[in-house]
Amino acid sequence: MNRHTWVTAPVAALAVTAMLAACSTDNKAADGGAVYTTISGTNPITAGAPMNPFNASGNYFLGYNTMQLGFDKLNPADPNDFFPGLAKSWTATPTSLTVQLQDKAKWSDGSDVTPDDVKTSLAIALTQGSATVGAGFLTQGLDVGAVKTVDAHTVEIDQAVGGKNINFTRLVLKQTIVPTKVYGSLVPADIWDTIAASQGSDATAAQAAIDKLNATGKTISAFAPQTDVSAGPFVLTRVNPGSAVLDRNKYFYDLPKISPKQVVLRHYSGNEQIWGYMKNGELDSAPYTSIPTNVLDEILKAGNKRVDSLHYVNAAIAFNESVAPYDKTAVRQALAYVIDRKAVTKVGEPVGGTASTHLTGMIEQATANWLTPDQVNALNPYEPDTAKAETLLKGVGFTKNGDQWMLPDGKPWTITLQTVNGFSDWIAASTVIANELTSFGIPTKPALTADFATYKTEMAAGKYAVGFWLTALGPQASAAYQRLYGADNGFSMRGATVAHVSGKGSGNWQNTPETYTVGGNTVKVGELTAQLSALAPADQKPIIQQLAIATNQELPVIPIWDYTSVQFTNDKRFTNFPQQGQDALLNNPPGVWMMQGYVQGKQ
Amino acid sequence: MSTLAAARARRSPWRVTRRVLLRKPGRVIGLAIIVFFTLMAIAGPMLYPGQLAVDPDNIYASPSGAHWLGTDFAGSDVLQEVIVGARYVLLTAAISALVTAALGTTIGLVAGYHRGFTDSSLMRVTDFVLTIPGFPLLVVLSTIWNFGRPLEMGLVLGVTGWGGVARAVRSQTLSLRERGFLEAARGLGLSNTHIIVRELLPNIAPYVAMNLLLSVIGFIGAEVALFFLGVVPFTSSNWGVMLNEAVFAGGAINSPQALSYLLAPLVCILLLTLGIVLFLDAIDELFNPRLRERS
Repeated sequence: MNRHTWVTAPVAALAVTAMLAACSTDNKAADGGAVYTTISGTNPITAGAPMNPFNASGNYFLGYNTMQLGFDKLNPADPNDFFPGLAKSWTATPTSLTVQLQDKAKWSDGSDVTPDDVKTSLAIALTQGSATVGAGFLTQGLDVGAVKTVDAHTVEIDQAVGGKNINFTRLVLKQTIVPTKVYGSLVPADIWDTIAASQGSDATAAQAAIDKLNATGKTISAFAPQTDVSAGPFVLTRVNPGSAVLDRNKYFYDLPKISPKQVVLRHYSGNEQIWGYMKNGELDSAPYTSIPTNVLDEILKAGNKRVDSLHYVNAAIAFNESVAPYDKTAVRQALAYVIDRKAVTKVGEPVGGTASTHLTGMIEQATANWLTPDQVNALNPYEPDTAKAETLLKGVGFTKNGDQWMLPDGKPWTITLQTVNGFSDWIAASTVIANELTSFGIPTKPALTADFATYKTEMAAGKYAVGFWLTALGPQASAAYQRLYGADNGFSMRGATVAHVSGKGSGNWQNTPETYTVGGNTVKVGELTAQLSALAPADQKPIIQQLAIATNQELPVIPIWDYTSVQFTNDKRFTNFPQQGQDALLNNPPGVWMMQGYVQGKQ
Repeated sequence: MSTLAAARARRSPWRVTRRVLLRKPGRVIGLAIIVFFTLMAIAGPMLYPGQLAVDPDNIYASPSGAHWLGTDFAGSDVLQEVIVGARYVLLTAAISALVTAALGTTIGLVAGYHRGFTDSSLMRVTDFVLTIPGFPLLVVLSTIWNFGRPLEMGLVLGVTGWGGVARAVRSQTLSLRERGFLEAARGLGLSNTHIIVRELLPNIAPYVAMNLLLSVIGFIGAEVALFFLGVVPFTSSNWGVMLNEAVFAGGAINSPQALSYLLAPLVCILLLTLGIVLFLDAIDELFNPRLRERS
């Protein structure tokens, strides 16, 4: 090495290091504020995707640059309990909702958030598949009939004529609010006429209007805005293949509460990548991911803190009852006695799962809330008991040939247990279930579907006789039972009555009977479920109790485990995170925590 | 013993094979590894009949006397999975390699010997096969075809993988057909079948044999990759699925506890590759008369 090189090499190296340091995603932004690093649990970063909340793979991040009127607290006792978002407050009547917008609510270009923005946003929401044919009340539909400007900061949202959906407030508050100046040109001038037609009693005209709305929806979904115009605490400034960078929105209505100067959302292709980030201490918080115990230990060792909250989701084994022998209650009950749910949960979801004990179609906490202690005690817990399973099967004509169970028609009984590629918890669980059922004498093989979208499509087409499914969605019991006795089971509202369809193309893949007989009484599951959407929580109790007891007896699904939302926070750079027990906050993304004054940078 | 008898004994195939093998220790090691895995594939499922036992109280247990290679995500014995899983992996690779060698050699020989229209037609088909992106095709096929059995997977891999062999065999055949011994054979009025099978095939046999073994390595990689990516049906006793589970569900990259579950199939693939590469040297000498005479 000559002298010149000897002298310049270290200098050049220092310069390169300095440049790299300047270019890297440091934990301090340029003007001294701290950078909050996390991942978006709902959508990984897609470089090049539009900054459009109505695009399926768009780059939009709820609570950061995407705002709603409010943020759901997931309160099972009050479906309309929300944190304020762009709405400062709201007043609901049985048929309308009046929203007072935040006084200082502004878009990131400095213009005001107006009632007109709300009107445009709700019209767009109805183009995204939220509209219901005809008077589709008592369903989960967003039945907005009209949006009226009261004053510069007040907007009145009316239900469609005749609508009395008790979930109307929550449905409206959960809608994404976008600026009219960006999206307004995509919305046809006569859209509210079309919406009115879609809600009319003329079925043909209603369907034509729905088709028109859907066509507009497709245009809006494909739209790619040039820049992000956000009313949230952050604005999306750039998207790299590895991360999305959001800078603090200086026009945000409650700016003093927002401590991070910048939020970096890291890209991930799978859980193992997120585990790696946490193990390296790179994330300030991380949402729920399915996680094995050995990895949990490593994550905790790295200084991350585990924070659990209630999750209204259950993993269950679902049946297509049009396929024999799953149409027999005794068969489903026998399978419930064979499957050791605790053992399956230990393998499938050891950290974020609690084995189901009461099998009511709701998560355990909801069962305890809605049912009396006597009712809970009277439920069949289906503790593992192969002797009971044998008795049940023999009672409906099954026989045993050596070690293998034979169907009543004399053919061997085998099961293909369908799961989804990438759902590691379901796949691991299916291994144990297959083992248990095979040992019992029913040769069982797990099978994978390539992705969840295909899985849902094929399941709806009735392709699988037995497969994993997510149930007990909540927090409202109506949502949980819609999952069992709703559209997937052929039930829908037609006017004021509940209709039931089955057969090819009907979307009914569960094919349970329309009624169950429980304790000598007839339980009309579809009708009762539909009624839940129109009743106040206090009035829902007797119906929920009937449905829970009927579900426990008939087992249209075998619940395996309730999910627990296991999140992690790391106080290396920030403090004042929501703590265990603050489920309402923890069920929302960190952007919402920040809006409530949580997450402050360490000095 | 007469001189003639002694010469015959020296030329006996067994003695020649033994001599070639023993010339370098690496060849013996290679053969031993291949035999070991072949026996594992044949006898493995017989050693562990029935269901793979699960033990939810013993997940990712470290290697011990009870579980030499530890346990997996369900508490199943990793050694048992590796042994039982060898059959699918090796049988698939063997079927693929045989299909590739048979198709590639036949088409290459016929095209190279006949030339003209036959050559053009067969080479266009070969070009078509070469342009098929094998791995993406398998990913697509896996959505409509169940690769639960080795025969299905082996056939697809083999049928899409013979193009390169056919091209190379054709080139060698074109070169050989101008040699004197082939001109003499044609002059003697021997049939085309006789010339191709009895005169040309033995001369390209070393290349085909080596390619057969090398393609086994390639096909093991391809099938394990498909299972690793999770695009084909899940069977827990398969090396690719073991890798998938270890990385994506067990966190082997982030936690040492699942490491033996990850390493077990990896080491098997590595050892098998090493065995084949070491043994290739012997195959080359065995099938190549010039090398044999030189030694």
